[in-house]
Amino acid sequence: MEIACALLGEDTLALDSVEIAERTERALRELEGIGAAVESERPGEVFFALDGLRGLHGGDAAGVLRAARAAIGAAVRIASGPTRFDAWLRASGRRAPVPVSALAGRLGVSEREGAELTAALRRLGIETLADLAALSPDRIADRFGPVGLRALRLARGEDDPPQPRAAHEELAADLELPEGAAGAQLDRALELLVDRLLADPRRRGRTVLALRLGALLSAGGSWSVDQGLARPTASALALRSVLGPRLEALPGPASSLRLRALSLGPRVGDQLELSLRGEEHRRRRLGEAIREVRAAQGGEALLEVLPLDPRSRFPERRAVLTPTAPSR
Amino acid sequence: MSPGLRRLYMPRPVAVEADAGGRPVAVEGVAVEAIREEWLLEDRWWTLKPMRRHYFELALADGRDLTVFRSAVSGRWYRQRA
Repeated sequence: MEIACALLGEDTLALDSVEIAERTERALRELEGIGAAVESERPGEVFFALDGLRGLHGGDAAGVLRAARAAIGAAVRIASGPTRFDAWLRASGRRAPVPVSALAGRLGVSEREGAELTAALRRLGIETLADLAALSPDRIADRFGPVGLRALRLARGEDDPPQPRAAHEELAADLELPEGAAGAQLDRALELLVDRLLADPRRRGRTVLALRLGALLSAGGSWSVDQGLARPTASALALRSVLGPRLEALPGPASSLRLRALSLGPRVGDQLELSLRGEEHRRRRLGEAIREVRAAQGGEALLEVLPLDPRSRFPERRAVLTPTAPSR
Repeated sequence: MSPGLRRLYMPRPVAVEADAGGRPVAVEGVAVEAIREEWLLEDRWWTLKPMRRHYFELALADGRDLTVFRSAVSGRWYRQRA
């Protein structure tokens, strides 16, 4: 298997996290547009397998990479290799001998843990990937455990294949905010965003599994938060109740809000919360109204139809009028 | 019946002119355009107060649709929502 790695250009370093995420998402969709099954575990970085794409783009890997570069459009560095790690090393311009520090962010653990491991390797005189690859798994396992073995696998050119995401359409809603929007205005903006997102015809009745709420800050910069949902839902009330508290973490005044569906679930018509709440609300208001009328007009002022024998052939036996019960 | 309860659809006396065969031809002076349907109901025939009604669903000349019946016990006419 040959894997390609696309790293969005150096100019992304000047961008903030939300914009990098947006560019990455665009790149993912463009690559999906040329038939690639894409994986992206971090912003600015995309992996896809070349197998199956050669026939579509000129018959060789170079043709696929050309097509990918043309599809993404922006400054992008693309390279391919037998594993994800190898492709990433090539795309990021590293040449042998590659220092073990290159492993730090690629071990599936936190950056700090990765840096601790590579620092420990260097203290032991293991400076390059070639040095590490020469060690036996037993020695590494004894000293560094599973993270060390993961590092050893990468150094030896072994890696898991990409796990492509399910291709999906862009489903997002934006809203410009008035200057200094805060409090109830933000809540109202979120309400509108949720309604717009759910009303998007491309959703085609599907539920939402995960969302990203983002904002461009008035003072510059941006903010975003990903929110998974406990169960798939298409209920505006459920989405608002989950996202509302996240808005409180907004670090400053925002000039716009953006809501994106990261993942869609099966089609379900689950507006149960709304209908149940509505029914309860209606019942409570009706009860209050009945009490008021009975207090003002007397117990006989309100009557209700009580079915006795609804299917009787004699109409007068079917139902009676009775005073409405006070508890209703 | 308990105090406070009121039956719905109770029969109300009505003036009906009938032909020799006992079929309504006018209700409260309004001619009967057509008899849509007629049926007999019998109940409590085993008691001293039997019920026997001959119902007619009528289309009147003024456009109303009305259901009346003749009590075979009393010989009187009533209208009733059925």
